[in-house]
Amino acid sequence: MFSWILQGGLLLLAFFVPLVLLLAAFPPFLRYLARIGHVSDDAHKSPPTKVPEPAGPLLFIAILAGELTVAAGYGSYVPLALVAGAGIAFAIGLADDLYVLGGKTKPLLLLLAGVGFVSFVFVRPEIYTSDLSFPLLGDTSPHFIIFTVLAIVAFPVVTNAFNMMDAFNGEISWFTLLTSLALLAGVVLHEVYRGGFSMSRVASVLPLVAVATGFLVYNRYPARAFDGDSGSLMFGAMFAGIAITGGVEVAAMIAMVPAILNSFYTLSSVRGFVERRKMSSRPTFIGSDGLLHASVEKDAPNTLVRLVLLASPLTEKDLVKSIVKLVAVACAFSVGISVLTWVL
Amino acid sequence: MKLLPLYLIESVAFLLIIAETYVFFIFVVPLGSIPHTLTEYTSLALLKVFLILVLGAVWFFVLDELTGLYVRSKVGSSPRPSS
Repeated sequence: MFSWILQGGLLLLAFFVPLVLLLAAFPPFLRYLARIGHVSDDAHKSPPTKVPEPAGPLLFIAILAGELTVAAGYGSYVPLALVAGAGIAFAIGLADDLYVLGGKTKPLLLLLAGVGFVSFVFVRPEIYTSDLSFPLLGDTSPHFIIFTVLAIVAFPVVTNAFNMMDAFNGEISWFTLLTSLALLAGVVLHEVYRGGFSMSRVASVLPLVAVATGFLVYNRYPARAFDGDSGSLMFGAMFAGIAITGGVEVAAMIAMVPAILNSFYTLSSVRGFVERRKMSSRPTFIGSDGLLHASVEKDAPNTLVRLVLLASPLTEKDLVKSIVKLVAVACAFSVGISVLTWVL
Repeated sequence: MKLLPLYLIESVAFLLIIAETYVFFIFVVPLGSIPHTLTEYTSLALLKVFLILVLGAVWFFVLDELTGLYVRSKVGSSPRPSS
């Protein structure tokens, strides 16, 4: 009985330590960023407003505090592996925020985040199992080398997909919150129905949920903070790591379908990795009516946002609402996949 | 309702992932008898890699066509607002 109360208390700490830290530190941190001139144009406002950026360092500190709480409370190495991958992705993102890395350099460097994450499996083999579980079909046989290579490659893919969902006020914070909740549902079902319930694996998802919730307060329309690449890449690395340690890779892939489509559209229309600041034409523009419009130019990149705006011009707030609806549907599919995989 | 075509594209992407997973496990993984020589082993591995690439290409082609259809239908019908 006492053990369960303690475990429940640790779950609460895993959520509230990063959330309270983030909400308390955000105002002074944003004032600091503004004072040292780290502000960016909110390009989709007319005229553009200045917003403090990057909030990534504070987001990472909050995640770190949450994961260290879980590691200390449960004596688990899983949170340490997660922060290793997220920390490297954060550092690469921060370098990109400060110096702007090339369109091909960034994905290559992000392989290091995957290497940092999987290196923990050599210390603690139980951090992840090297098989995939599919709904109704069951598990693949374990293949450590193939799985580990795929895990490393997953980091640049997922982090870039998150990065490409970071264009409008509230888009990345809503996306991270909804997809992390879908992951949480998957990990809970995995732990309950797979046997050998591990509270630490469930708890290690909570700092990401908490930080996405806290960031949403400052990032939603009209945004008072931008995360920068340091934030979005760190969110993506956390997501990839949780999917692997939680054994919910397929459900994670389904929750990410809007981001996968977004990356797929962009890569297929610009034919390769191009830094977004260097794209020759923009997918969207602000019309004289103050609404966001899809570009009708033939060479405009096909982002998910352009496809939404092709249906009708929208305000930035309504555009993000539409994207959130698409993400929510994908997350519902993801939870369905988790139920099919673990319950049925 | 304006988002309906995008929900459909999203659903097709989801269903294709599930269907292709099924094809992968039911048809591609058990393909061929147990290889006895290095040549047989290599040929079988290459065949399976090729089939995985085909599955990827099918996903890419179907979504590219659906998206192209959606973009063409919208670009053709939308007026050009002044920027």
